[in-house]
Amino acid sequence: MGSKLDFSVLSRGEYPQWIWHGVLTMFELTLAAWLFAMALGMVLAVVRMADSRVAKAFVASYVEYHQNVPMLVQVFLWYFGMPALLPHAAQQWLNAHNSEFLLAFISIGLCMAAYVSEGLRGGIRSIPKSQLEAARAIGLSYLQASRLVLIPQALRIALPTLVSHTVLLFKNTSLAMTIGVAELTYATREIESQSFKTVEIYLLSTVIYLGISLLIMTAGAGLESRYRIRTR
Amino acid sequence: MDSILSILREYGVLLLVGQYPNGPLGGLTITLVLSVLGLVLAFPLGVAIALARISPLGWLRMPAAAVIYVVRGVPLLMFIFWVYFFVPVLTGRTVSGFTTMVITLVIYQAAYLAEIVRAGIQGLPHGQTEAARAVGLSYTQTMTKVVLPQALYNMVPALVSQFVSTIKETSLGYVISVNEVTFAANQINSSLMTQPFQVYFILAAIYFCLCFSLTRLARFLERRINARREGTFRPATSPALAATGPIASEHAA
Amino acid sequence: MNMSSSPASSPLIAFDLVNKWYGDYHALNGISAEVHKGEVVVVCGPSGSGKSTLIRTVNRLESIQSGAIRFNGQDVNAPSLDINRFRSQVGFVFQSFNLFPHLSVAQNIMLGPVNVRKQKRAQARTRALELLERVGLASKVDAFPGQLSGGQQQRVAIARALAMDPPAMLFDEPTSALDPEMVGEVLQVMKSLARDGMTMMCVTHEMNFAREVADRVWFMDQGSLVETALPEAFFSNPRSERARKFLSDLRSH
Repeated sequence: MGSKLDFSVLSRGEYPQWIWHGVLTMFELTLAAWLFAMALGMVLAVVRMADSRVAKAFVASYVEYHQNVPMLVQVFLWYFGMPALLPHAAQQWLNAHNSEFLLAFISIGLCMAAYVSEGLRGGIRSIPKSQLEAARAIGLSYLQASRLVLIPQALRIALPTLVSHTVLLFKNTSLAMTIGVAELTYATREIESQSFKTVEIYLLSTVIYLGISLLIMTAGAGLESRYRIRTR
Repeated sequence: MDSILSILREYGVLLLVGQYPNGPLGGLTITLVLSVLGLVLAFPLGVAIALARISPLGWLRMPAAAVIYVVRGVPLLMFIFWVYFFVPVLTGRTVSGFTTMVITLVIYQAAYLAEIVRAGIQGLPHGQTEAARAVGLSYTQTMTKVVLPQALYNMVPALVSQFVSTIKETSLGYVISVNEVTFAANQINSSLMTQPFQVYFILAAIYFCLCFSLTRLARFLERRINARREGTFRPATSPALAATGPIASEHAA
Repeated sequence: MNMSSSPASSPLIAFDLVNKWYGDYHALNGISAEVHKGEVVVVCGPSGSGKSTLIRTVNRLESIQSGAIRFNGQDVNAPSLDINRFRSQVGFVFQSFNLFPHLSVAQNIMLGPVNVRKQKRAQARTRALELLERVGLASKVDAFPGQLSGGQQQRVAIARALAMDPPAMLFDEPTSALDPEMVGEVLQVMKSLARDGMTMMCVTHEMNFAREVADRVWFMDQGSLVETALPEAFFSNPRSERARKFLSDLRSH
């Protein structure tokens, strides 16, 4: 283990481009999946609050499925399995339109939406029922009450959980490499296999991942202190 | 539907036990072995890290916190690659995918377990530690005889949940050709070619049945523990009496 | 005491043979009564008498199974009623204040006018400041509910209810959740509202308040409206046996 580390290798040839492209793709995937997961998660949480047994059962099943099946398997099911069910024209459209990225962010987003909705659900459950009553008593409709009174409070309470889910989502983008999405882990493996400078490229990627995780957690802590429900 | 049943009939054994007895064990059996080994070996390590994390000694606290943070900030996949590369370098011999996976899971799970154990210990009323020290027990004795036994009991539902996570994480062994159930499913898909949906559907169903039952178990245990905590605990003079505490109506989210 | 009500004018709130059941439990038993414009009615009785239930039927926080309730001429339970618009016309003050903790005091008061009446923010804020002046809390305009005492929170709640310019205000045990030293400041506000001619229906145990500002006292017991009387008459010489018992129980504290 005496050989020195040579990081300069990474700046030669196409490697910087690959790394950069990998980081960019990782960001795009994270952003797309996150937006999708947050939006869908909120919808699911609100649907679950409705007075319908069907609605509750549907969301409960959705959550159970996505939390008990490994995300990798979900990605496979969407990427390998689902297109086989589509008509031929749709399959061709998919193949021509970057299906790897598309199906990666959809499957990751769908999975994380389940976690987001559970986090919000915990937040909603800690809000006393009287809040909804008070909102209705002023004349707000159910939708207005949800939007202005319930969801803002639920988000504040659920914020720490949602931040850790965001970190989880970010880390899970690495799974997309298994279906050929050229994000950072994929680029790392490519560079390793070509340059044999394993430690250098692994270190670089690890530092990038760690750095961004830290960024997300710090931003989360900042949000938490800004939006904390203030008491004496 | 028929195609699913026929796949099950033909490849069911492969999915469950791999090529045994005509070859190495594989499939779901390996998944379970990996998970159990991973969690069982990670547990003492996790407790150690947790104790270090809350230790009054700064030189223990910092590294422990650093380890936890690093392991939780890096994708599991990257971690697997690190271990796959590093262990042969360290030991000078090649290691199988299986061993790599075990080592990865042990370290990865230990970091998460450390947080669970820490929460369990810190969740105990402070009065417990105070009373133990007041009686004259040392720090170590307090930990081993008073704090840890209670904390561990309270942690059981969280531990079962971690077991479920471990099972899900074994699926990543596929990337380094560990012969667990996801790998087996991929083999089936490669040979069948025309029924990917059915194959992966079966794979998802296998994981779902396993993990869902365990999750339900965890919730059941949590209710039991909460019922005891709420003061309805009766010392087990008879099994019937011990089981009659009211069950809290909310289950774990 | 308010002398400006004229018995000949149509009532602002009218209960007509109102019945409500919770399963088999008869919560409201054939209640018929009226509140006229400018009147202050105090509803009292032992716990479980249905007084809170009654007041909550006026803005449909509780439903009824038979009979009719009219508010400002509208049938509260008509299917065609726009319930949100309707509720915005009824000022309701809860026992546990129910301010929105994530919004400032001003935002709490402005929420209704801006979102239901579609007022402009600037206009709503000016009005909020006026109302806070009225309840004596202008300095707390940008504070958050968590930073206020119970009495202050309830006064803000009253301001919030007044923000919609309701023709009548309903109070559901507004001081029951307050520490004794804060009851006075809330009653002060309620008395000044009464003196200004607000129509009020209050469920309360504060008998001195009733004596000072109520035009009439309604006594309820076990779901029935047992007695209505002028306050002086009710307190010095209640007609019914149950009222006598209630008052003596109250006084023995």
